[in-house]
Amino acid sequence: MNAHPDLSRRAFFTALPAVTAGLAIPAHAADEANPHWAMLVDTRRCIACQACTMACSMENVSPEGQFRTVVATYAVTDQAGKTGLSVLPRLCNHCEEPPCIPVCPVGATFKRKDGIVLVDGERCVGCAYCVQACPYDARFVNHHTGKADKCTFCSHRVEAGLLPACVETCVGGARIFGDINHPQSDISRRLAAADGKTSVLKPEAGTTPRVFYIGLDQQLDGRVDGASTADMMWRPDTQGA
Amino acid sequence: MNTTVEVLGFAREPAWLPWAVQYFFLIGISTAAFFLSLPGLVWRHPDWRGISRRALLAALVCGLTAPVALLADLHQPGRFLNFYLHPNLGSWMAWGSFFIPLYLLGLIGYAWLCLRPQMADLAKRPSPLAGLYRKLAYGGHDNPSAIKAAALVATLGAFLVLLYTGMEVMVVQARPLWNTAFLPVIFAVTAMTGGIGMTALFEALSGSRQSAPLLNRWLVRGSWLTLVLLTLWLAFGLTGSSPTGADTLAAMGGSFGWQMTGGWLFGSTMLTLWLARNERNSLIMPALLALHGAWLIRWIVFIGGQSLPKMGSASHPYILTLTPDSLLGIVGMAGLCITLYIILTSLIPWDDQANA
Repeated sequence: MNAHPDLSRRAFFTALPAVTAGLAIPAHAADEANPHWAMLVDTRRCIACQACTMACSMENVSPEGQFRTVVATYAVTDQAGKTGLSVLPRLCNHCEEPPCIPVCPVGATFKRKDGIVLVDGERCVGCAYCVQACPYDARFVNHHTGKADKCTFCSHRVEAGLLPACVETCVGGARIFGDINHPQSDISRRLAAADGKTSVLKPEAGTTPRVFYIGLDQQLDGRVDGASTADMMWRPDTQGA
Repeated sequence: MNTTVEVLGFAREPAWLPWAVQYFFLIGISTAAFFLSLPGLVWRHPDWRGISRRALLAALVCGLTAPVALLADLHQPGRFLNFYLHPNLGSWMAWGSFFIPLYLLGLIGYAWLCLRPQMADLAKRPSPLAGLYRKLAYGGHDNPSAIKAAALVATLGAFLVLLYTGMEVMVVQARPLWNTAFLPVIFAVTAMTGGIGMTALFEALSGSRQSAPLLNRWLVRGSWLTLVLLTLWLAFGLTGSSPTGADTLAAMGGSFGWQMTGGWLFGSTMLTLWLARNERNSLIMPALLALHGAWLIRWIVFIGGQSLPKMGSASHPYILTLTPDSLLGIVGMAGLCITLYIILTSLIPWDDQANA
C-alpha cells in the first residue's frame, strides 16, 4: 500500500528529465529553423481604411499624432485624364542592410537573427541620428519617452505566436506576415506566386527591405513629385485649435 | 507622366531641433576663433596679439556654451553617459563624444597657460579676488613650450571636431541636401567666417578698432570661398553632375520659399563681402553679418533639410514657438553666451591695456 505513492513519485522524477527534454527539443528545433520575418503588402487589396494605423496605435500606445504605420493615399491622374486612388501602406522595412544601425552612437538599434530591427530603449539616448538615417521616414522620437520609436513587427505578439496587430486587423487581408525562410509559409507561397512581380521601396538605397509590395505604383515608392493636400490644409498643431 | 495629389500624407516633424543648429554654430565658431588665437598667443605675432586675445575669449565663450545645447537635445542630459558606456565606433556621432572633450580640455588648458602671467599680475593688485588669482596663476610663469603643447592638443581636437561635425551630417544618405562632399567644407568655411565675426564683435565691444582691416581682410577671403562653394554646389545640382544636388533641387520643386531662402543666403553673403571689402574699418556690421551667415547656413541645412520629404509629397515646415526646444532654447543659448562673456570679462581684462 505504502509503495504506491513512492512508486508514483519515483516515476514522476524518473520521467521529469524526459518531459523537460521533450519540451526543450521542439523549442531548440524552432531556434535552428531560424525564422526570418517579413511582410508582403498587396496594395490591390488595401482600401486605405487606416484600420492598421489605429490597431498599431492602440497596440503600441503611440503618442497622439505619431504613427508606426500609416497608409498614405494618393489621387493619381493618368495621361488620359482618368483619376484613381493609389495607396502606400508604410512601416519600418526591417532592412537587411539597415542604415539606422551603423549611425547609432550607442548601439541601441540592432537587428535580431529573426530579421526584426529593434531599439533598446534602455540604451537609446534620443539623439535621433537613426531618424535622420532612415530613408523611409519610418522612425520618430517618441514624445512620451524622448527615444527612438518605430514598427517592431509587433515582436511581443510574434513571440507569443500572434500576428502583428496591423496584419490581424486588416479588413482586406492586404498585409501578409510570416517566415520567408519557411517555404510553405503563406508569405513564401505568395511571394513565389507573384513570381518576381513584387517591389520594395527605394530599391536604389541598397537597404534590401523585408517589406515587399504587390501592385505598388512605382511613382509612389519614394519622394513623390506632386501636390499634397497637407500643405493646403488647416493643421491644428501649427495653426491653433 | 501621371500627376499625383497626396490626399493623406504623413510627414515627420524635424527630429533635430534648433538645439542642433545652435550646437553646430557655436562649436564651429569656437574652433575657428581658437585658430585665430594662435598667431598672437603661440607665434607671438605683434599684429595679432590683441585680436588673438579676443579670439581666445570668443573660443571660450562659444566652446563652453555649445555642449549645453547638445545635452539639451538629448531630452534628458544624463543620457550622455551612454556615449561612453556603450560607444558604437562605427558612428561619427560616437567619435564626436570623444573629440568634444579633447578639444575643450585642450582649449581650457591652453587658455589657462596663456592667462597665467596676467593672473599673477592681477594677484599683486589689491583686490578681494587676489587670492583666487594667485591660486589660478599657479606661479604665473609664461611657458611658451607648454602653451605650444596645449595648442597642439586643442588644434588636433578642433580639426577633429570640424571633421566629425561635417561628416556626421554628410553621411546621411537619406537626406540629399546633407549627402554632399561640399557640406563639411561649407561648414568649416562658414565656421571660419563666423569665428572672425565673433572675434570682431568682441573686438568692437572691447573698444579696439585698429584690427578691423586685418579681420575684414580674412572675412573677405572667407566670404569669397563661401560664395564659390555655394555656387559650385548649385552648378553641380543644376547640371546633374551631383545626383544628390539634383535630388535636392527637385525636392525643393522651385518653391517660392526655397527661392527666397537661397536668395537671402547669396544676398547676405555678398553684402558681407561688399562691406568687408569697402568698409575696412567697420567692425560691428561685418561681424553681425558674418555671424548671421554662419547661423543661416546651419538653419537651412538642419531645419530646412528636414522639411524636404523623404517619402510622399508632404513637407513638414518648422515653426518657431515659445517653447524650450524652440525659440526659448535659442534665446537661452544666447543668454548663456552673454553670461559667460560677462563672467570672463569681469574676472580677466581682455583689452590691449591689460595685455601690455
